[in-house]
Amino acid sequence: MKKAIILLGCPESPSQTPLAVYAANKLTGMGYKVTMASTPSAKKLLEVSDPDQHYVQDKIDIETCLDELAEGDYDLLLGFVYKDAAVSYFVTFYHILNTKSLALVFHRDPEKLEYFENSVKENTDAEIVSARAYHNPTPLRVRLDRTLDKLNKEGLNEKNDDEDDS
Amino acid sequence: MFCLETYLRESENYEIHMTRSGFKDCARFIEENAPEVVHVKPGEKIVGARIIGVPPVPIGINDDKGTIMLPYTKPCYGSATVEIPVPLEEREKIRAVGID
Repeated sequence: MKKAIILLGCPESPSQTPLAVYAANKLTGMGYKVTMASTPSAKKLLEVSDPDQHYVQDKIDIETCLDELAEGDYDLLLGFVYKDAAVSYFVTFYHILNTKSLALVFHRDPEKLEYFENSVKENTDAEIVSARAYHNPTPLRVRLDRTLDKLNKEGLNEKNDDEDDS
Repeated sequence: MFCLETYLRESENYEIHMTRSGFKDCARFIEENAPEVVHVKPGEKIVGARIIGVPPVPIGINDDKGTIMLPYTKPCYGSATVEIPVPLEEREKIRAVGID
């Protein structure tokens, strides 16, 4: 089974927790086993949002996760980038994992949004989904759907190519 | 083995030059103020902790003071620049993983 890690940043923006649950659900539907790496406060928000662990079963502290992380541990990295520190964490996870990656960049301030987006672009080859967002998760959710659909189709094409070769 | 997290928790013998800053400002401070700068990949283990940042991550070395200066990032608090005393062998380990 393919494995995905969702990297949560500081939960200051109200959009992060619902989008994290949403992304976990989508990735599970695409056949990924999802692990959520987060700060203790972001984890508490998740636990209250998903009390029966219907959407997210595997949660790990971001520092513990980073300490033990190695290339090949996950097939997909999806990171929430809302702050400068989140750029640093995403880029660090990206360079250790060296795998398919997707950054969800969002902020209410357009200048910060552009700065975070450019920082991710300059330092990784990750797919970037970005939108001005704070309370309203919809703009980011719509773009996330589009990008995950694209990833899903690419995955299916790769699978078909492998079957044709064999 | 020297461990940064434990050291910062248990010792008062360190200097914080910047706090709650952006990574770039911390990196610039190290570049401008350390007598020797070694650049490492993000995720490299430095004094027992994964270094977090945007590549190339600068680590300042001061052999006269016996210290290193490094960016230290936490998800909710941003980046800080911390200067800590470390043994010579740890400074040599940093030089060995440098990408310059």
